[in-house]
Amino acid sequence: MLNFLNQVMPNVVENWSGDTGMVTGIWQTLYMTFWTTLIGGLIGLALGVALVIYDEQGIMANKAVYSILDKFVNVFRSIPFIILLSVVFPITQFIVGTTIGPKGALVPLIIGTAPFYARQVQNTLVQIDPGVIESAEALGYGPWTIITKVYLREGLPDLIRTSVLTIISIIGLTAMAGAVGAGGLGYIAVSKGYQRYQNDITIVATLLILVIVFIIQGLGDLWAKKIDHR
Amino acid sequence: MSDQPIIELKNIDVIFKEPEREVRAVDDVQLSINKGDIFGIVGYSGAGKSTLVRVINLLQRPTNQAAVVKVNGADLLKLNAKELRTKRRKIGMIFQHFNLMNALTIADNVDFALKKSGLSKVERQQRVAELLELVGLADKSHDYPSQLSGGQKQRVGIARALANRPDILISDEATSALDPKTTASILGLLADLNRKLGLTIVLITHEMDAVKQICNRVAVMDAGKVIEEGDLLQVFSQPRAELTKDFIDTTTHIQSSLAVVEQQAIVQNLQPGEVLVQLGYVGAATDQPLITTLYKQFNVSANILFGNLEILQDTPVGQLLVVLSGTPKETQQALRFMQENDVQVTVLKSGDKGGN
Ligand SMILES: Nc1ncnc2c1ncn2[C@@H]1O[C@H](COP(=O)(O)OP(=O)(O)OP(=O)(O)O)[C@@H](O)[C@H]1O
Ligand SMILES: [Mg+2]
Repeated sequence: MLNFLNQVMPNVVENWSGDTGMVTGIWQTLYMTFWTTLIGGLIGLALGVALVIYDEQGIMANKAVYSILDKFVNVFRSIPFIILLSVVFPITQFIVGTTIGPKGALVPLIIGTAPFYARQVQNTLVQIDPGVIESAEALGYGPWTIITKVYLREGLPDLIRTSVLTIISIIGLTAMAGAVGAGGLGYIAVSKGYQRYQNDITIVATLLILVIVFIIQGLGDLWAKKIDHR
Repeated sequence: MSDQPIIELKNIDVIFKEPEREVRAVDDVQLSINKGDIFGIVGYSGAGKSTLVRVINLLQRPTNQAAVVKVNGADLLKLNAKELRTKRRKIGMIFQHFNLMNALTIADNVDFALKKSGLSKVERQQRVAELLELVGLADKSHDYPSQLSGGQKQRVGIARALANRPDILISDEATSALDPKTTASILGLLADLNRKLGLTIVLITHEMDAVKQICNRVAVMDAGKVIEEGDLLQVFSQPRAELTKDFIDTTTHIQSSLAVVEQQAIVQNLQPGEVLVQLGYVGAATDQPLITTLYKQFNVSANILFGNLEILQDTPVGQLLVVLSGTPKETQQALRFMQENDVQVTVLKSGDKGGN
């Protein structure tokens, strides 16, 4: 078995473990994806919900607040990620104490993700029937209950679907961050595979990324389908 | 149906400011609804019905300072947000499109109304079961809204609206998306709840039929104003506004039948002493053998071309299109006799005045 693997992908086998090996790369990619999803997701969710409730038609309609949030999200969404990576270096240094490695990539990843996800959340939640929101108001519920028990509950199946899209795009971003020194499968595919003409590494790293994407997509779809009763 | 107002709206204005224009959705409305009433509000689309009833629980705030919204004695405009929410729980509301949560089962949709009720989990389950029993959906509790018919969904909406034992139920076009048979069963359920629980119901609709079936009072709205208001029987038998007459005609078809009736040969060729009249009568007057009396006493024969008889609030209400014929003098006597006996007489066409 090992013999066979040695023959078809000698460089992969050689670089399997170790500080800059494939296994480390997988973990680094998962690490960056996980924390970005968690922190960027929560910030994005909060921003997205805020955009919905402060909207002109929202339950806490407030033009000023909405327009500030709206512009904020637009500005940060417009900065190309590759530029964001270098621009936020000082902030990164300040917050996490380093600008290299997976940890150093978290700040730009989160800044790159949160506004994107906020829009996804907004677009999902505004589709919820205003009549359902109105009926909750008529039942005497305030904003907090309406957000948690109506918006997030009714919107959950679609939120899961957009979250899957967001996570997949986060994986894409981690690969880009990897290429400029954050580690992970993206770094391995580019620096160890492509740049050193070790094609087997490039292919295997790519396949591993695809596997992660498919698993997330599959689980997300299953879950969304299970709880969707429309 | 006591004389004790449970809802009092005074000087209500609601003006929506659009970039281009102002919409006066509600225009200086005064409305008083008594405890136990089933109060109908009719009007064409855009008349301001929904906006007006949303003022009752302040989902829509009046836009003028002078407005007063009193529900069960409390001046809602003077309450803070939290107090207002507590009051809203005592005003149930049902909607045209049901507005149920797709993500929740029927039982959970009803339970959703009880989140702030202070009941324990077990008590809530009991209450939900009780409510689903009341609306006849006990066996559907684990289904999702998408599995129900429109009528069933509205029953869930009713159960949810009643969860906190409200004194008032507002129904905004609750039957407009339903077929006639289902509409009748939902209206029947509302009338039942009114009788059993003493629930005051505000029923918004553009179907006069619904009003006729269960309301005891009715208001007609047009362009933000209440143009006519009163007891169902009175409004029905003696409508004043043209719009009210139009609405009534949608269920009696008297006006629309008139066109057909006028085409008939007998009406085309009215002779002297012959008149086409519309007769309206309410209650007691109906019981008298009117047509027979006309013939026996005045020698005037009556040819009924169209008739509509309704029972409103257990009182018969009739509308007839009739050609009376006798000598001119006898016919005049007959008309006077009917007026003296509380029959509403409208002469539509006469053969005397050189009629063609
Ligand atoms: N939020 C709003 N902003 C601006 N205009 C509004 C708003 N809500 C209602 N209107 C306007 O106010 C008027 C009355 O609307 P409303 O919904 O109360 O009518 P309605 O009698 O309930 O009609 P329908 O039978 O179609 O439900 C309409 O001209 C409508 O366009
Ligand atoms: Mg309406």
